[in-house]
Amino acid sequence: MIEKVLIANRGEIALRILRACREMGIQAVAIHSTADVDAMHVRLADESVCVGPPAADQSYLNIPAILTAATISNADAIHPGYGFLSENSNFAKMAEEHGFTFIGPSSKHIKLMGDKIKAKEAVMNAGIPVVPGSDGRVENIEAAMSIGQKIGFPLIIKASAGGGGRGMKVAKNQESLTKAFNLASGEALAFFGNPSVYIEKFLQNPRHIEVQIIADNQGNVIHLGERDCSIQRRHQKLIEEAPSTALSKSQRQKIGSIVTKAIKKIGYRSVGTIEFLFEDDKFYFIEMNTRLQVEHPVTEMICGIDLVREMIRVAGGAPISFTQEEVLFSGHSMECRINAEDPTSFFPSPGTITEYHAPGGLGVRVDSGLYNGYKVPSHYDSMISKLIVHGANREQCLMRLRRALSEYVIDGIKTSIPLHQRILEEPDFISGDYSIHWLENLVSKNQK
Amino acid sequence: MAKKLSDTFDKELVKKLASLLDETGLTEIEYEYENSKIRVVRSQSNSIETINNQSPIELKIPTGGGANTNPNGMVEADRDPGTVKAPMVGIVYTSSDPDSKPFVQIGDKVVENQTILLIEAMKVFNQIKAPKSGKVVQLLVDNGSPVEFGEPLLIIG
Repeated sequence: MIEKVLIANRGEIALRILRACREMGIQAVAIHSTADVDAMHVRLADESVCVGPPAADQSYLNIPAILTAATISNADAIHPGYGFLSENSNFAKMAEEHGFTFIGPSSKHIKLMGDKIKAKEAVMNAGIPVVPGSDGRVENIEAAMSIGQKIGFPLIIKASAGGGGRGMKVAKNQESLTKAFNLASGEALAFFGNPSVYIEKFLQNPRHIEVQIIADNQGNVIHLGERDCSIQRRHQKLIEEAPSTALSKSQRQKIGSIVTKAIKKIGYRSVGTIEFLFEDDKFYFIEMNTRLQVEHPVTEMICGIDLVREMIRVAGGAPISFTQEEVLFSGHSMECRINAEDPTSFFPSPGTITEYHAPGGLGVRVDSGLYNGYKVPSHYDSMISKLIVHGANREQCLMRLRRALSEYVIDGIKTSIPLHQRILEEPDFISGDYSIHWLENLVSKNQK
Repeated sequence: MAKKLSDTFDKELVKKLASLLDETGLTEIEYEYENSKIRVVRSQSNSIETINNQSPIELKIPTGGGANTNPNGMVEADRDPGTVKAPMVGIVYTSSDPDSKPFVQIGDKVVENQTILLIEAMKVFNQIKAPKSGKVVQLLVDNGSPVEFGEPLLIIG
């Protein structure tokens, strides 16, 4: 039984966890750096402990300080939130070794999913579809040809030692494969001193679709549907929605059951998200996030389930409080991540909030630590608020989101609200026809 | 919840190790016997000094809601240039063990680099040293009390 939780995070997610604790009658201890003395998660907590100076590596990433804070405040559990130490298997392990319940998966599973190659292998063995490819280095053009015949074109050839786009070439068909293979191999040698390459199926315009799961210590695994997070820029998601306009009910059930079975097989506990690229009605595993996600509220809105509450209960040893059959998807939900940055140049914009008014009304939720006079520190992530709305259908959801954005007043700093408003007027977005490259294209069009 | 470490560890031994550390000029000693292990580490001298006022860290006093562990009178202490602030979160000890006399008491003269307190964090005892010579004018923490990062510990006048 968990009675006192130390929240090893800051900002809106610390507040989100604190709210769940309050509603469960659990005491919440906030930690903070000297830059966050006036933050809302500190002001609302039952207790707070300053763990270090503004730099994250000395405060929110400072494992000894955080574990000491948990000890002196007599907390019995630690919730890591997202980011910071949430996917640090060492932190999870040390927390358990010091007698605290880690509100998350086992350190073993965090470690497994943190290793991209081992993770792919593990989920593949458990039945989750992955990007087909050579599974290792491709020695010569003959071997490349046979892979091409097996998995089909287009293919992407990547340097085994590579990164940052170097030594990466796309072969559209069999004719261009020889040239692409030789180029990639040559570049691999030139840039990394190693000509070895591997081959994967090349996805041209995929969507990013992820499946939310929750698992308990009793072996129950339940999926809570998907979220479409294709609206992203430089791998930073900006708008998420659930359900995805790209999936049919049967596709949803199918991927949900594949994922549920796999997670059961892997023996995972707590909440987690399996991220996929989705193209031509097929799913390809990207990675598993072994933590609560930023965009979890859109799932909560369509399921009517408090994921953080469930996560804490499961960590305390309780079984999941509902069954798969009891999970009913209702209506549509969208989330806008509002960042303290210039909506066109994306330049960060920290500073003091001179005027603050949060939108409200039916189906509107704001997860944010902002308030009038709050100073957005420059030391941390620029996301300052999440505006989440729910509607009976996607159309109503869009109308409500436009309405809520127009009500939202955050003065004194620049925010991404104008960009959100612009996206919501784009015909492609309105019709739900977009891929992971869509926002990038829109933004570059704008800058030209 | 039996998380109080103070009643399980051998304070005499820690004291011995700490003085050995001083004598030898080592930065770290680890001592292991049977099932217990004690590690005494000397803080990097510059880390303590940096935090102690040579480059003042901006510290604000929590205003609203949440209970904090700070004693009264912190506002004045926070502004005093002679205030020694906690370089880490932990449990503060005013003496090397309960039977020994405190490192320092109000009115005592201290010299720069003299050990004035211990802060225990993750079973490591960190010596807090006087950033300058002077007289202890205020002691702001009690033996065995938890302290936050940046919390005023004592004032050297």
